[in-house]
Amino acid sequence: MINLPKKPPPSLMVFLGIPSALLFSYYCFLKVGFNLSDFKENLENRYLVTDPLFNPKWSWAIENASEALVETIQIAILASIVGCFVALPLSFYASQTTNQNKVSYFLYKSFLNLVRTIPDLFWAMMFTVAVGLGPFAGVLALVMFSLAIMGKLLSETIDSIDPGPLEAAKSSGASHNQSVFTSALPQVLPNFTAYFLYIFELCIRASVILGLVGAGGVGRIIETQRIFLRFDRISPIIVLILLVVILIEQFSVWLRRRIL
Amino acid sequence: MIKFENVGVVYPGGVKALDNINLEINEGDFVIIVGLSGAGKSTLLRSINNLVKPTDGNVTVDGNNVTNASKKELKQIRSDIGMIFQTFNLVNRSNVLKNVLTGRLSQVSTIRSITGLWPKDDKQIAFDALQRVEILEKAYVRGSNLSGGQQQRVGIARALAQKPKVMLADEPVASLDPVTSRVVMSYLKKINQELGITTIVNLHFLDLAKEFGTRLIGLREGNLVYDGNVDDVSDADFENIYGRSIKSSDLIGDDD
Amino acid sequence: MSLPKQPIQQRILKYTITALIIVGSIWSASGLEITLEKILKAPEQIAILVGAMFPLDLSAEAIERILPKVAESLFIAWAGTVIGALFSFPIAFLAANNVAVNYISETTKQILNGIRAFPELILAFVFLPITGLGALTGTLAIGIHSIGTLGKLSSEVIEGIDEGPLEAIKSSGGSKINELLFGVVPQVMPTITSYWLYRFEINLRASAVLGVVGAGGVGAELINQLRFRDFPRAGTVLVATVVLVLTVDTISAAIRRRIIKGRSVKV
Repeated sequence: MINLPKKPPPSLMVFLGIPSALLFSYYCFLKVGFNLSDFKENLENRYLVTDPLFNPKWSWAIENASEALVETIQIAILASIVGCFVALPLSFYASQTTNQNKVSYFLYKSFLNLVRTIPDLFWAMMFTVAVGLGPFAGVLALVMFSLAIMGKLLSETIDSIDPGPLEAAKSSGASHNQSVFTSALPQVLPNFTAYFLYIFELCIRASVILGLVGAGGVGRIIETQRIFLRFDRISPIIVLILLVVILIEQFSVWLRRRIL
Repeated sequence: MIKFENVGVVYPGGVKALDNINLEINEGDFVIIVGLSGAGKSTLLRSINNLVKPTDGNVTVDGNNVTNASKKELKQIRSDIGMIFQTFNLVNRSNVLKNVLTGRLSQVSTIRSITGLWPKDDKQIAFDALQRVEILEKAYVRGSNLSGGQQQRVGIARALAQKPKVMLADEPVASLDPVTSRVVMSYLKKINQELGITTIVNLHFLDLAKEFGTRLIGLREGNLVYDGNVDDVSDADFENIYGRSIKSSDLIGDDD
Repeated sequence: MSLPKQPIQQRILKYTITALIIVGSIWSASGLEITLEKILKAPEQIAILVGAMFPLDLSAEAIERILPKVAESLFIAWAGTVIGALFSFPIAFLAANNVAVNYISETTKQILNGIRAFPELILAFVFLPITGLGALTGTLAIGIHSIGTLGKLSSEVIEGIDEGPLEAIKSSGGSKINELLFGVVPQVMPTITSYWLYRFEINLRASAVLGVVGAGGVGAELINQLRFRDFPRAGTVLVATVVLVLTVDTISAAIRRRIIKGRSVKV
């Protein structure tokens, strides 16, 4: 008679994790007020939204929102460029491949992590209080936003580059900055470009929202129209933005193919 | 030129890579170091430019104590020592010329190296280095588009661009075929003979060692077990270094 | 002997890109009327604001108000992620071109792209008149947006699997359902689950923000405190948010690492 080997016990994580996740989910749905009968009732109101939504007023949108749309795009361009290029040197300090100093590495990495935790709209709110309402606050907010994302993505990429060329440069007596610049930076440039285009796209979407808190861009218009339930004016604006985003997506795909 | 005084290296974790090495290498020597993997060849080489810092003893290069050098002194010392690597260590996305110019980094200000405005003299040195390994026409080709042998030649050019007094080669031909290996080794030998640069090469192919070397050093488990003229080495000596009889994998073989 | 000339193509590309970046920045900056003066004044203004936030308002009253809202953001994010995960999972199979027929997978992908295109906030707008102010709206907005993103990511994972085990099942007489259950699902679960967790991290930030339009969560608190110039309390809201997000991020990252790595069984 052959005895089977003893079956390993289920992992603690699965054993405790899955039931508690289910319980927690139930609790959450309760707490957010998920109630099927209420929900059905609410759905009756959908015509308030869907009727105007599918009746876009293009002429109004083009006449009144074009300037704001351009502003939105300008905020995104400026913020992503500044944020990403500032993040470039920071990322090298936030990676152990290029920063052997444990304390400094920890500081830079923590800084990037901290900036990441604050949502972009919160940054926008704070900057509007600090430097006043308007697009400048929006740009600053998205600079932090871009910096955080590029910092994380790029530093993780730098973590996995080939340290060989760095060693070669150091062994020839080059300074730390020279070694990083000539032997580490070229390795991550394709990634930097890809991340930049991705972040630029994210910035355009985020920039739309910023106007809600007075940080410039088309969000201000959307907010005012929303209060009056003028979804017929909001939908063409949204569509225009989507078009811009799609255009940028196509451009970035094209650009990436040329560069790589 | 290069002096090892009671050099020992113990890696964290307790691994003893080098044990009480005492060695003197004269200016203009062409030294080949052989031994099993893990015998300490790479550690020995890297303790010369302090990429590995000895835990005991010290290494002196041209009168300068490398082991206890300050950061500034170390940079100066390293600029006189050129190194080539088994994996070539080229910046793959950069072209050949850019790679060779990195050999001049220690002599050029950071601003100039970043903006690409290299002084004329430094560019000339890079040209000459490329000429010496006969690869000038590939100056703008990307590193990754070259064959292994060509990449190593660029590596040699990069080291030459430093105008070094010492040349260290860590298993420079381990990833190359027999023909290319002999080409690379002959470049190293020519440079040593024509420019008088003290050259130290790690090899694990015994026949290559005999073909190109003058002085042979054998390492076994971190200890110096042979130091003499390569012509005086007997098969028994080789077995002492390797702790076993010679296998065919220890020979690179003939050109196919 | 002189050096050959650098090929023209490389230089042109480099210069065009640099020019684009410089021109783009200047055009944007001038269009937005961002002057050097404003830039130089900014650090001081920021410092004043940060200074006004400390010492933080840690009174019982503040905590009483803020803590439930922070918790609410957590609940919204979790519930929204659950909705996203639950619905995106089957949809992902429909969108995968190696599971579903080509025109079904293509259409599903386009639908998912359409959903994905709308930021959570815009979705929240659309739901507000229907489901009213409150956490439910936020949950729905986040949930539906997550279906879009998770659906796309999951379908890509499914498309990238190793077909080998599927072939083995088929050749031993298994049905298509068997292939899915025993071949596809085990391969994709670790990655997809880690995507769920990562989505939760992002949704947490989104739910914090949704409060600004009244869709529940801590955003409303922050904007109110800032409007009333109660900076210490605003600072508390910020710190509370940061602590929550950091905690969730760390736990989630640890779980994700563990999921991908797999358990080491003692043999």
